[in-house]
Amino acid sequence: MTGDVERFLFVGAGLFVLGVLGFLTRRNLIMMILSAELMLHGVSLTLVTFGRMHGTNEGQAFTIFTLTVAACEAGLALALVLNLYRKSHSLDIQVWSRLRESDLPSPVSEGSGGTMIPPKNPYEDLPKLTPAGKRPTEAESVRVG
Amino acid sequence: MSVWLQSHPVTIAGLIAWALGILWLMPGKQVSAARNRIPGLVLATAGIVALSSSIGAAQPEFASEVLFWLFAVGALLCGVLMITSRNPVYGALWFALVTLCTCGLFLLQQAPFLAAATIIVYAGAVIVTFLFVIMLAQQGGAMGYDQQSRQSFPATIAAFVLLGAVIMTLQIGSGKAAAVAGEGSSGATTNVTAASDAVSQTSGNPLSKPLEGQQLGTMKGLGRSLFGDYLFAVELAGTLLLIASIGAIAIAPRREQGAI
Repeated sequence: MTGDVERFLFVGAGLFVLGVLGFLTRRNLIMMILSAELMLHGVSLTLVTFGRMHGTNEGQAFTIFTLTVAACEAGLALALVLNLYRKSHSLDIQVWSRLRESDLPSPVSEGSGGTMIPPKNPYEDLPKLTPAGKRPTEAESVRVG
Repeated sequence: MSVWLQSHPVTIAGLIAWALGILWLMPGKQVSAARNRIPGLVLATAGIVALSSSIGAAQPEFASEVLFWLFAVGALLCGVLMITSRNPVYGALWFALVTLCTCGLFLLQQAPFLAAATIIVYAGAVIVTFLFVIMLAQQGGAMGYDQQSRQSFPATIAAFVLLGAVIMTLQIGSGKAAAVAGEGSSGATTNVTAASDAVSQTSGNPLSKPLEGQQLGTMKGLGRSLFGDYLFAVELAGTLLLIASIGAIAIAPRREQGAI
């Protein structure tokens, strides 16, 4: 192992640790996903360095697979974030901290939690069907027709 | 371990300075006005430079040495600024800079195709998607929860203990490697090539080894590896992309169900 390899490994570890730190501390959902991507950068750099260390192309081939998975992850995660935003009208992760068993203590201190703004229309979160007994609005009937 | 702690004061000081700089830049527990960023930036830069200089040896050429410093310090510093930014738009833009610096490091490691692919995928697609989502979901700019952080002090301690452990392993391992190389009659470089030859000869993926007289990381070599040794995995990755795009379309909210 030459010394030059270790410096690249250090930069990869540093990027990974920064990603961990951002994922743990930030409260914005988008910033958390960006931090996960930062971790993937660190891993990619480490893979490329290992590939060069062994003198084969395998590290770079693995990094291409990492790239594929990162692209899939970003697309799916952003779709989920948009869904969560539609339900809570906030990107704060603390809003969803009540997603736990009711008799368990909160993992973080209460009080600093975000507030969920209820949607104006109570039927907004329901699936596509119009609720029974509710007359379709004009816009909806126009859209169906 | 205590021997290592005593014999590497620069590394320890760099770790502490970097952690203090991040803690200074990180938003506090309560919503407050941003502090002056200069002291945090100076501390973090000093820590990064001290750490990079205390690990490993310099590159043989001056130009690649300068480029390494530029890209390494740039990547780590932009990463610090990304995770501490109070506005997610700026966070996404700092992340684009981290991507560019990482691609520079890829170039230094004989991976030109990978650098180009990463720039295209990340800077071209992922960052733009993030900016679109920020534009859709957070039109009011930075919110209160962007000015706060969760448990920043314990998280920083844990993260930097992890980094310190990795660096300790790297330095101890490099000391052992140097000792092994010193026992041989030849210098470190030839020993490394001999070791890598032995490793690639015993590996079960012969198509991943560069052809005779070819450099590492050419498109031809990478294609041989991907479509030779990893053909099945490439097919699986294509299927994964297809399923992920179908899933994203199915999960994403439709406009009829409620305006975003």
